[in-house]
Amino acid sequence: MAESIKNKNIEIVGFACSYCSFKASEMAGSLRMKYPEGVKLIEVPCSSRVDPAFIIKALIEGADGVFVAGCHPGDCHFIKGNYYTRRKIAALKEMFNAFSIDGRLRLFWVSASEARRFVDKVTDMYNNIKEKKK
Amino acid sequence: MRIGIFICHCGHNIKSTVDIEGLKGHFREMVNIACVEDYPFMCSEPGQALIKSSIERLGLDRVIIAACTKTLHQDMFKNLVRDAGLNPFLLRRVSIREHCSWTGEDKDKNTKKAMRLIRAGIYSSAHYEPLEEKQVEVNKSALILGGGISGMSAAAFLARAGMDVYLVEKEDELGGHVRRVGDVWPIRERGRDIIEGMVKELKTLDNVHIFTSSRLVSFGGSFGNYEAVIKTKDGEISITAGGVIVAIGFTAFDPSVKPELQYGVDKRVVTTLEFEENMDDLPLKEGSRVAILHCIGSRDDTIGRPYCSRICCINAIKTGEKIKNHIKDSYVESFYMDVRSHPRGGEEFYEDTQEKGVLFTRANISEVIPEERGVILRGEDTLLGMAFEREFDLVILSVGMSPSKDNHEIASLLKITLDKDRFFLEAHPKLRPYDTALKGIFIAGTCSGPKDMEESINHGRASAVKLYGLLNLGYAFIEPFVAYVDPKRCSGCRMCEQACVAKAIKFDDNLHIVKVEEAACMGCGLCNATCPSSAIALRGYKDTMIDDEISALTEAV
Ligand SMILES: Cc1cc2nc3c(=O)[nH]c(=O)nc-3n(C[C@H](O)[C@H](O)[C@H](O)COP(=O)(O)OP(=O)(O)OC[C@H]3O[C@@H](n4cnc5c(N)ncnc54)[C@H](O)[C@@H]3O)c2cc1C
Ligand code: SF4
Ligand code: SF4
Repeated sequence: MAESIKNKNIEIVGFACSYCSFKASEMAGSLRMKYPEGVKLIEVPCSSRVDPAFIIKALIEGADGVFVAGCHPGDCHFIKGNYYTRRKIAALKEMFNAFSIDGRLRLFWVSASEARRFVDKVTDMYNNIKEKKK
Repeated sequence: MRIGIFICHCGHNIKSTVDIEGLKGHFREMVNIACVEDYPFMCSEPGQALIKSSIERLGLDRVIIAACTKTLHQDMFKNLVRDAGLNPFLLRRVSIREHCSWTGEDKDKNTKKAMRLIRAGIYSSAHYEPLEEKQVEVNKSALILGGGISGMSAAAFLARAGMDVYLVEKEDELGGHVRRVGDVWPIRERGRDIIEGMVKELKTLDNVHIFTSSRLVSFGGSFGNYEAVIKTKDGEISITAGGVIVAIGFTAFDPSVKPELQYGVDKRVVTTLEFEENMDDLPLKEGSRVAILHCIGSRDDTIGRPYCSRICCINAIKTGEKIKNHIKDSYVESFYMDVRSHPRGGEEFYEDTQEKGVLFTRANISEVIPEERGVILRGEDTLLGMAFEREFDLVILSVGMSPSKDNHEIASLLKITLDKDRFFLEAHPKLRPYDTALKGIFIAGTCSGPKDMEESINHGRASAVKLYGLLNLGYAFIEPFVAYVDPKRCSGCRMCEQACVAKAIKFDDNLHIVKVEEAACMGCGLCNATCPSSAIALRGYKDTMIDDEISALTEAV
């Protein structure tokens, strides 16, 4: 199933916190900002809801990249969920590094008002992966 | 399973860049799909009727609405589903507008993306379960932060409507900036008189509790029952309030940030706020030469103030007119980038002031040079394209509005967001300009961006009306998205207990497993991502739901 998309388009799955990055993505849409259609979001209540297993699953199933986007350090709606996220992603990146796939995982901090930053971050990730895949 | 899919065109907003017929054909082929409908506006009455009648007629057990993002119209759609006899937690919204039709231009690619997004909705909602929202009583009272004109306007409305109001002002008296404005345009009254009138009215209402020289020190709880601790002159007090209105105003731009203006260095350089406070204290006499500079602290990228402050052009015109009226034989020249005299009557006021003899020069002022005989302005006339130097006795800087110094502190106490200019961010700039992302927390006045008095009063009242509407129901629903434990799977390792920031997880010494205290659970899902035994799950965001969304997004369509 996944094969048919694998070689054609870049597919990125992003986990976005409902209080900040997901809001920023809504605003980006309202402002008609454009970004590659390969970027698709899954809304989570907090970035800390993201189980490393989700990230691995997405990659195994054919995603070219995965990102987790949460509130800036100190701004977590759930007080310090994003600190847990930071730790988890750092550990995962270390592991991915051993397989030279660390470029396929990113963590961004994007607040609800940073629609432009959201678009810049996802577009940059997309272009980066596209470049490597050539 | 009987799934109904409802695809909205949103006029042309979705339809023009997503192939609706293509989507319909695609989903009709899928198993378990009882109907696929489309309509120009699903949120309209006929659109709602279509959804409701389909649920009733076909006995749908899942409703997928592919339309705008779920921040919009969610309560309406939930009520609709509930009225049709289906549990509202079996509804899934899929955003094919904000996350698809508006972000991509290629119709073919957008259509494929929409297919995947809708599939994600279908797959994940297969694991949904009927949930009950807990109904809680709300406290019919409001905490208002900031006793400027916007906060006072909100307080007066709510108190007259019968609610308890706690008005917290950090200074020792109410009124904010308006108290300092000597001549309020266009009504030409003293700001202090307007404020005194309002204070008097508030003091006659015994359900208004005013705390001056006070500030918020801690904040928690949820809509209907927010808990706040206020530090007052006489110690700390705790209050429970159903909702909050943030009205902490602005800070007048401090021109000393721009050293070339010599503000704070030379006494002959002052701001419009100082002029308003006391014109008589300024060195003005017969024949004085006065320069007024527009846009100080506005429309200036170099100092991070790219926005227009909306009030300073009128303030500059008002200042020029006043000097012309009161100081005999004065020479007044106003230096502007563009004159934005936008409020009603502003353009006429600008013309009248020109007729009175105030000269308006389009210019960039590069430097203010203090000399003994006078203050020299150096700049460029941008209409003539010529450099100039002119001497004045007094320079008045028409200062703009900067975000209040306390914005960051209040935003992080309340867990609400600031925009890129550091004003408070509204939930939606057009549709929800009073709301924040948190239910029952509203913003009013200049804390969300530059406004004149009329706009600040309107904003304050509108927020008050919205809060009143929410609280007057008397009850609120608490989202049932809390964690729960599967006792058969829990090994009692207590890792979730350690992780939980809300301390909502308790270990049962007899059973050697954990349980969740629902009232304390914030619904973050950290425990769910931490448990090595998949024994604790967050309702609404269970592993199976997210796993299947991932599959939907990565499989071929
Ligand atoms: C020089 C000048 C001239 C003006 N002239 C006019 C005019 O002629 N006509 C007109 O329509 N408008 C005029 N305005 C604009 C007018 O002042 C504003 O529209 C108005 O003050 C906005 O009211 P507000 O309640 O939003 O904010 P503010 O007036 O700033 O009031 C905010 C209040 O919140 C308090 N506060 C701040 N932080 C906290 C905290 N952490 N906790 C508790 N309380 C806090 C402040 O002390 C203040 O009392 C003028 C403005 C300036 C600068
Ligand atoms: S982490 Fe899982 S297994 Fe461990 S105590 Fe919590 S629920 Fe039980
Ligand atoms: S969802 Fe968050 S707040 Fe609730 S029990 Fe789990 S970790 Fe604690």
